[in-house]
Amino acid sequence: MLAHKMAMENPLIQAEAIDAVEFPELSRKHNVSGVPQTTINDGAGHVVGAVPETNLLAAILQSVK
Amino acid sequence: MNQLLDENIQNQVRQALSPMEEPVHVLFFGSQNDCEYCDDTRQLLEEVTSLSDKLSLGIHDIDSDADLARQFGVDKTPGIVLAGKEGDVITDYGIRFAGIPAGHEFGSLIQGLLLISSRNSGLSQATKEQIKLIQKPVLLQVFATPT
Repeated sequence: MLAHKMAMENPLIQAEAIDAVEFPELSRKHNVSGVPQTTINDGAGHVVGAVPETNLLAAILQSVK
Repeated sequence: MNQLLDENIQNQVRQALSPMEEPVHVLFFGSQNDCEYCDDTRQLLEEVTSLSDKLSLGIHDIDSDADLARQFGVDKTPGIVLAGKEGDVITDYGIRFAGIPAGHEFGSLIQGLLLISSRNSGLSQATKEQIKLIQKPVLLQVFATPT
């Protein structure tokens, strides 16, 4: 998965694949409706759906600005 | 106990893992408290890691091994870390799963093992360069469903 690949390239990046069904409270907190949904830094950014690497990269860069 | 992976699936996984290059160490974190999927997840990982001699598995408890869990950023159970292994040295790449990797996530688990085994993200050079410049901690939480 793309997030895992990103994590490989920088030790500051961690990527966790979460089963939304097993963790409903966390899913509710981040308003997960469509999957996959990527939440960046506890809500600083969101990406819905499977997106190309440039889109996820842009969302990450925006979130750490 | 019944096998979770039947012989057909075992063969497919063995085949999928055959291109593995470098060793991968899997850390499982379970809990004695209120963890519906811990036993199944542990069994699944035991079955998968038995299918390649490049795979090893560590079984841990999020409470009694709290320092290790913290070191690898695990705060949920069942928690899984996929890490590199050079001799006795475990390398954390920040790659985790929370919850049982069944259904679609099973594919992500196998992909993750292959990814770390290759020690190469496969991202474009431009993306790699931009990611390396990030100097703040980033936590990516990817929500998926097992179906």
